[in-house]
Amino acid sequence: MKERDEMREELLNAWEETYKKGQLTLWIFLALKEGPKYVNELQETIERFSNGTIRAEEQSLYRTLRKFYHLKMVDYSSGKGHKGPDRKYYHLTSLGQSLLESFIERNILLFFEEPLKELLLN
Amino acid sequence: MKIISRNLLLFALLLFAYTLLFRYGLGQLLTAEKWGWVAIISVLYGGIIFITAWMTGRRDGRENFLFDAGFRWNMTTFVVWGIASEAWFLLGLHSAYESIRVVHITLLIWSGFLLLHFILFLILRRRTIRGVHKTDIFE
Repeated sequence: MKERDEMREELLNAWEETYKKGQLTLWIFLALKEGPKYVNELQETIERFSNGTIRAEEQSLYRTLRKFYHLKMVDYSSGKGHKGPDRKYYHLTSLGQSLLESFIERNILLFFEEPLKELLLN
Repeated sequence: MKIISRNLLLFALLLFAYTLLFRYGLGQLLTAEKWGWVAIISVLYGGIIFITAWMTGRRDGRENFLFDAGFRWNMTTFVVWGIASEAWFLLGLHSAYESIRVVHITLLIWSGFLLLHFILFLILRRRTIRGVHKTDIFE
């Protein structure tokens, strides 16, 4: 039994590791849908939203946001920092919002419909 | 996202220095007729360029997400090597064993490969959105 539990844990970790790859975009978009945020705030929100299961590295977030900015999915405005230099407050552009809506509609909402909803909850 | 990035400039600068050092060493060794050493420094020169290109290119890939299929590095090597080599001959710093024709023939053949590389880049660019490879956007 112990062996089975250990294997289950190992498989679960491997599955989650693969599952989490590529999930960062969704978490960033959801956090920004809540409202404009600077990088550290975004990091905290993602951790809070995901119950601590997703931890984004600061450098990784900066890189991703620069890329999304280049692709016009996010934009930023400067705001006062806490005793420091101005911060970049990122927000979703209309393209980013529309992209998130389409992604949710195609890939997330189906989990809230029968028979998937029933299968997930029971 | 920059076409001429910090890493590309660093590579160009190092390549220019390597080429001048190589040209100087090559001239000295040819004049001294040390043929074995000529082969050794040529391999070393090629190796160090490869390592420098690989390191700066890899770092550029992390900092700059512009997809170019390595074309910027190839183009930079072509231009920098061509300028350094041409200047070496124009300033009369070459040895009696060297001919500017070899530089010209090398540049001519290389330009053909450069063109092929550019065509490959144009084909692969179809898999990008605003210069970012589709597989790199939501990595």
